Amino acid sequence: MTVSIRGLTKRYGPTLALDDVDLDIAAGEVHALLGHNGAGKSTVIKCLGGGTAPSAGSITIGGTTYDALDPRSSIAAGIAVIYQHLSLIDRLDVTENLFLGQETTTAGVFLRRADQRSRAVRLLERVGLDVSPDTPVRQLTIGQRQLVEIAKALSRDARLLVLDEPSAALSPVESRRLADLVRLLKAEGIAVLYVTHLLNEVVELADRTTVMRDGRVVWSQPMAGVSKTDLVTAVSGRAHGAAVAPRPVDPDTPPALAVDHLEAPGLHDVSLVVRPGEIVGLYGLVGSGRSRLLETLFGRRPVTSGTVAVDGRTVRVRRPDDALRAGLALVPGDRLRQGLFGSLSSGENTVLRVMSLTARAGWRRPRAEQEVFRNTAAAFGLRPADPEVPVSRLSGGNQQKVLIARWVNDRAGTRVLLLDDPTQGVDVGARAEIYEVLRQVAAERGLAVLFASNDPDEVVALAQRCLVMRRGRVVDDLDMRHTGEEQLLDLIHTELEPS
Amino acid sequence: MTTASPPTVDGADRRPPSTGRAAAAPSPVAAAAGWLVKNPLLVLLVVMVAGVQLATGSQLGWGNLRGVFLDAAVIAIVAAPVAMLVIAGYIDLSVGSTLALGGVVAGKVVQSGASPLVAVGCALLAGAAVGVVNAVLATVFGLSSFIVTLGMLTAVRGVAQLVSPLPLSNFGEAFGFLGIGNVAGIPLPALLAVAVLLAAGVFLTRTPAGRHVYAIGVNREAAYLSGVDVRRIPFLLFVTSGAAAGLAGAITVARLNSAPAGQLGAGFELSVITAVLLGGIALTGGEGSMVDVLVGVLFMGLLRNGLTLLGVTTFWQNVASGLALVAAIAIAAGTHVVRGKMQAREAHRPDEAAATG
Repeated sequence: MTVSIRGLTKRYGPTLALDDVDLDIAAGEVHALLGHNGAGKSTVIKCLGGGTAPSAGSITIGGTTYDALDPRSSIAAGIAVIYQHLSLIDRLDVTENLFLGQETTTAGVFLRRADQRSRAVRLLERVGLDVSPDTPVRQLTIGQRQLVEIAKALSRDARLLVLDEPSAALSPVESRRLADLVRLLKAEGIAVLYVTHLLNEVVELADRTTVMRDGRVVWSQPMAGVSKTDLVTAVSGRAHGAAVAPRPVDPDTPPALAVDHLEAPGLHDVSLVVRPGEIVGLYGLVGSGRSRLLETLFGRRPVTSGTVAVDGRTVRVRRPDDALRAGLALVPGDRLRQGLFGSLSSGENTVLRVMSLTARAGWRRPRAEQEVFRNTAAAFGLRPADPEVPVSRLSGGNQQKVLIARWVNDRAGTRVLLLDDPTQGVDVGARAEIYEVLRQVAAERGLAVLFASNDPDEVVALAQRCLVMRRGRVVDDLDMRHTGEEQLLDLIHTELEPS
Repeated sequence: MTTASPPTVDGADRRPPSTGRAAAAPSPVAAAAGWLVKNPLLVLLVVMVAGVQLATGSQLGWGNLRGVFLDAAVIAIVAAPVAMLVIAGYIDLSVGSTLALGGVVAGKVVQSGASPLVAVGCALLAGAAVGVVNAVLATVFGLSSFIVTLGMLTAVRGVAQLVSPLPLSNFGEAFGFLGIGNVAGIPLPALLAVAVLLAAGVFLTRTPAGRHVYAIGVNREAAYLSGVDVRRIPFLLFVTSGAAAGLAGAITVARLNSAPAGQLGAGFELSVITAVLLGGIALTGGEGSMVDVLVGVLFMGLLRNGLTLLGVTTFWQNVASGLALVAAIAIAAGTHVVRGKMQAREAHRPDEAAATG
């Protein structure tokens, strides 16, 4: 059985998430899917799992062609998607989870528990998971849960197994066990689509690799004779020649942000400085602590010890409000959940905080607010520049501009701008615009910019310096004038090798 | 509504907040159509009043309407702060019993010989005290406001009965003025209701804290991360809604000239919530205005009154009021879809403003 994806296209409003994607996965083949965040990998997965319907194109599985799948027809077609965020139900035990929605029954009503349990034992054996089928799922580790999900897929006779960054949350031992299982399933004739960031896994496991960039397939080859360097080149694409070498900042300038021996849950002995006008990248994989560090500086998470100083003054930040008063602002990683007020207008989203700062004696001053909106909309090239449009109708890039404008304007008094994954879900053109906005706020307003990213391309394009994070520590401080994307990728992937 | 308007739009035609509205419509006809789509209930209200007027001759007259407004006033006074809580993503179901508590407290104080103003002040305080309890549980401890205020609905009823086990009555004319008196020919409760609605409307649109009410309702997490005080604002709203219910209690008692702690304000909380929802304020939070509350309250009052005038019995009136609520919400959901499509068109419109920057 072969899975063929032809001309798959997905539009989200004005954004093209997938652009005419072709992909073939043969039975008994491990097909790796590589690409940066926002390259379109997860949209492919969603189309396969039935989470979203493609705008155009088709998916053919075992001779049947589908224009769109929903979760039910996807399962029926033999596709099993193991998402990064696992979808087991904590309160049920392993057996119940395995057969959820496909319970074995007598007369269609009564559960045949003994029957299910013995089937569960066989399934667990097949995936090499040594736990009792009566164990509540909440007592399992992430790695064990993943195996339960795979067992569930097998119980449904899945012919295509889609693994979405399966090793991201696993220990080295668990990763190795997973790799063994993938090889075993491959030998049984199951097709595996393996989505990952980690090149070592690709080299080790994949028979064939497809690389996506900006919603398109840019490279697809059998792995025979392909080296890691080839993959790096394919992923990065070297398409960022336009990146302007940022003006270096005098290292003697007193820092706008100075963090000294910061200790917090998940962070260890973090010290760093960011100078006014400087753009610094925080680079690391998921779980390295880059987002956590930003959220801790912003008062979203507690600090255990250590000091944070803004413009030389030590600040004590317990809540986001304290951080904002100190001139420390965060553009959060999850724009929709943490940043935007969906049904409110873009004008209101922009001036939400400024409103309090411009108010006199408790009364809003609409004219001052309008001026702030007009100025920032013009400076950042916001489109449409109409304050009345609900912010939910803006494209991802323009939403991001609104969030930056909330903190960076004539009134807000922000000194340090923290950004978590600043171009998440933003298409290429808009990405360049966001970079331009950030360069502009650093250069013209003398802001210190600290952004977290797991996209080396982004770090190269934007940062003057790069702090590499691993397991809650800053392990490297790189001058980006002398560092390329290959080095970053290499650095992070080699360091992740299980020892 | 929003803060900044494009230079081409005249600020004069502003309406208190609906949620973000697309840019000014090109023609007055389209603008009017758009406005009606946003306010289907208002259309219905006008049709209904006209219908009743035609069907019954001129029975709608002032004397009859005065009664409608007196009822509506008491509901509006409480519906205004409750609507603000709903916009912020909370709810207050305890207002019926708080009304009873405020009523008996006012009654007791008046009977002790104090001036009616002192009595009203005590009713406000008693209501505010209930509000503080709600607020502490729902905002400081973060319990579900539905559960907290449902519990308080029962508990406060008990407190009211403890305060006054026997029904009070005969409070004297001075206090009675609060319930039925006229100022410049307008019933005092109606004036108070207008004042409360106006104050709430101005607060919601013209102060940062008012806009924060919406922000909290739309996305609490984002509001917190934007430095909004996501506890203090709902806290104060709970206290306000308690105080308003206390005031409504004093008015009701003054009007009835009796204060039966067991029956006073029974089911009142449902009338308030119904009016709020009828007006089109979504229980999911983040949307609504005081205009919506006014329309909701009037619609409910006039519907009942119209049915009475048409000779419909109370039982059938109940059936009609209940169905009206469901219908209104269905209409609101329907127009929401239409509005969404209209906005989608607006947002994809090629942009003129960008060219001029």
